Amino acid sequence: MELELSPDQKLLMSALDGLLAPYRSAPTGAHGYFEYSESLRQALAEGGFFDIVGEQGFGPLEAAMLIEEVASCPVDAEVAASTLIAPLLGCDGAPVALAWGLGRPARYLDRAGTVALFHENGLLVGAPAPDDWRTETSVVAYPLATLCRLPEGMVRQPADLAEAVHRRALIGIAAEAAGLMRGALQQTVQYVKDRQQFGQPLAQFQAIQHRLAEDAQTVHACRLLAFRAAYVDSAKEASLACLYAQQAARKLIYDCHQFSGAMGLTLEYPLHLWTYRLKYLQGEAGGRGKQASALAAHLWGETS
Amino acid sequence: MEFGWTDEQAVARENVRAFLAEHLTSEWQEIAPLSPGSEAVTSFSKRFCPKLAEAGLLVPHWPSAHGGADASPWAHFIIGEQLWEAGEPRGPQYYNVNWIGPTIMKYGTPAQQDYHLGRMRRGDVIWCQGFSEPSGGSDLAALRTRAERVGDRYRINGSKIWTSYARLAEFCFLLARTGSDRRTISVFLLPMDRKGIEVRPIESVVGEGDLHEVFFDDVEALESERLGPEGEGWSVVRYALNYERVGIPRYALALKTLHRAVAALISEGAFDAVAQDAAASACSMCEAARMLTYEVVDQRSKGSPSTGATSMARVAIVQAERSVADFVLDWTPHLFGSAEQPMVATHHKRAIAAGIAAGASEIQLNLIARDILGLGGSRGA
Ligand SMILES: Cc1cc2nc3c(=O)[nH]c(=O)nc-3n(C[C@H](O)[C@H](O)[C@H](O)COP(=O)(O)OP(=O)(O)OC[C@H]3O[C@@H](n4cnc5c(N)ncnc54)[C@H](O)[C@@H]3O)c2cc1C
Repeated sequence: MELELSPDQKLLMSALDGLLAPYRSAPTGAHGYFEYSESLRQALAEGGFFDIVGEQGFGPLEAAMLIEEVASCPVDAEVAASTLIAPLLGCDGAPVALAWGLGRPARYLDRAGTVALFHENGLLVGAPAPDDWRTETSVVAYPLATLCRLPEGMVRQPADLAEAVHRRALIGIAAEAAGLMRGALQQTVQYVKDRQQFGQPLAQFQAIQHRLAEDAQTVHACRLLAFRAAYVDSAKEASLACLYAQQAARKLIYDCHQFSGAMGLTLEYPLHLWTYRLKYLQGEAGGRGKQASALAAHLWGETS
Repeated sequence: MEFGWTDEQAVARENVRAFLAEHLTSEWQEIAPLSPGSEAVTSFSKRFCPKLAEAGLLVPHWPSAHGGADASPWAHFIIGEQLWEAGEPRGPQYYNVNWIGPTIMKYGTPAQQDYHLGRMRRGDVIWCQGFSEPSGGSDLAALRTRAERVGDRYRINGSKIWTSYARLAEFCFLLARTGSDRRTISVFLLPMDRKGIEVRPIESVVGEGDLHEVFFDDVEALESERLGPEGEGWSVVRYALNYERVGIPRYALALKTLHRAVAALISEGAFDAVAQDAAASACSMCEAARMLTYEVVDQRSKGSPSTGATSMARVAIVQAERSVADFVLDWTPHLFGSAEQPMVATHHKRAIAAGIAAGASEIQLNLIARDILGLGGSRGA
């Protein structure tokens, strides 16, 4: 057990920090519901960050750190599946979309080179063609598209690989959610320090301090649980981390929006670039209920 | 960063388990549901702790200069998890190893260290903590008990409240005012058999031996009984509280209680989907508390942990305790009266104190807001 970064991890994170510098602040001017950054993805690819799991001395933990850090920025790029799942499937290059059922919206499907579909017949993997999906306009801050039919040539994966992909998907959600929460919280903390009402910064009101303090604690726990799940790379820990993150997201989203007032509801203000992704992640992979029942099964067996 | 246990740590945990299997016999199982401060557990602790000491499991995390084995704080927590989960057979002596000993190590004179640490590592001395007063609860600096200097001695007058373990304690880690300024406070290592001390138990829902009033009527203290410089007790208190707040691995008993409740539900065929959901959620709260606690332990292994990290762990611990206590209330209320599962009611009694003892949750939130988020201070941070 060692909760400080190792020298190699520090180097990795400082390289990442440099790469992320231009993406730390929200794009100026009005932005859309989402800000997908192809250039960020490219920069990560060129920096070799998507290959991190296979690198000597690194593994899923470092991938989770990367995912969490990128997610704390107010721009979106498909990172989680490309780092954690692509190496399992042997695909690289274009984004990987995870579809949680036919006929359901999936993130990044409109730009994916590979789709991994969790299907009643198991995990099917293949390359989606443009006719296989339709774009969705949605209220969340991810590019979404629905897989309308099974792409041709989808290959059913062996059960152990399907289990690994599922587990890594949950780890990815937990790490991404942790980063999104951290970003949203940081933004909100700054806002309540700057915004004055009743002749003082909002930050001086204890009602606000306490809720943000609770959030700081849960966000930090999310991060540690996500990292632990990545390190042990087990289905049980993955369910636990994902459950905790999806559970924590509810209050965090509410608090951040409450304390940002009406400003937090504008597209000019960047809060939604974190919170409206988190909202989507809340229900991803079946949502907290699904993770809870999976965790219960891991802990206490299939009892129902 | 990595989340594995070293071989040495895994072996250490196995050693503790084996030791407990051998030494926590039926005698212990009968009294385990009682409070750490109860007469039965206190006297058990005086037989049990010397055995722990002999096996090198009482203070391995203390420096060898103070009779420890220079083990890391991880060793201390591995032992603590196993013992707290078993009901805490060290009784009130967990105080000694968790925070009183380390505080005396930092601030004590060689003579104080020699005597008190010696007693603690033998495992037969009970201490209590005289901080809170009717006027000084969360606002500890508002305490009124005074230690007046008279020649080379002090004369102490005042009263303490909520003092756990006081009736059976041999010593009190006592705070008293030694000046007019709000924070001019000194710490005394006071023998409880001094003339003028009166202890009255307070009946409570938390258990026997946990709460008392202690009255001081012209009690004499020697200069050699003062810990640290006169008037500078506030920094001693801060140091002590950082250790105390993250000392008991409360999530360990909470998790064990959750497993007990679930086992009962399974045997009754009542562990349905809704119960599974609630149980998994409670488990995730305990694991969150564990990880935030581990962060404090990790920081401790490298020096002093930050106040913010300590408070985050404490808040998470309180939430974990509550989520398990609520699970049991919601799903297995019948276990409260069960002779077969006495520890379930015990957990409930202990859990309620977590959000108040060692500083209320709201005070921890003030500290997080100030130290981690930089949101200015509330009074009480
Ligand atoms: C089981 C148990 C054992 C204990 N053992 C000991 C012991 O051995 N020795 C000892 O010295 N003390 C002991 N205590 C006392 C404990 O430290 C105090 O109870 C605690 O510090 C709170 O003080 P109080 O009870 O006076 O509450 P108060 O200070 O009166 O506060 C009541 C409540 O008000 C809220 N509050 C207070 N201040 C603020 C603020 N600034 N901002 C927001 N909310 C606030 C909190 O919710 C708090 O719980 C024990 C307590 C318990 C429950």
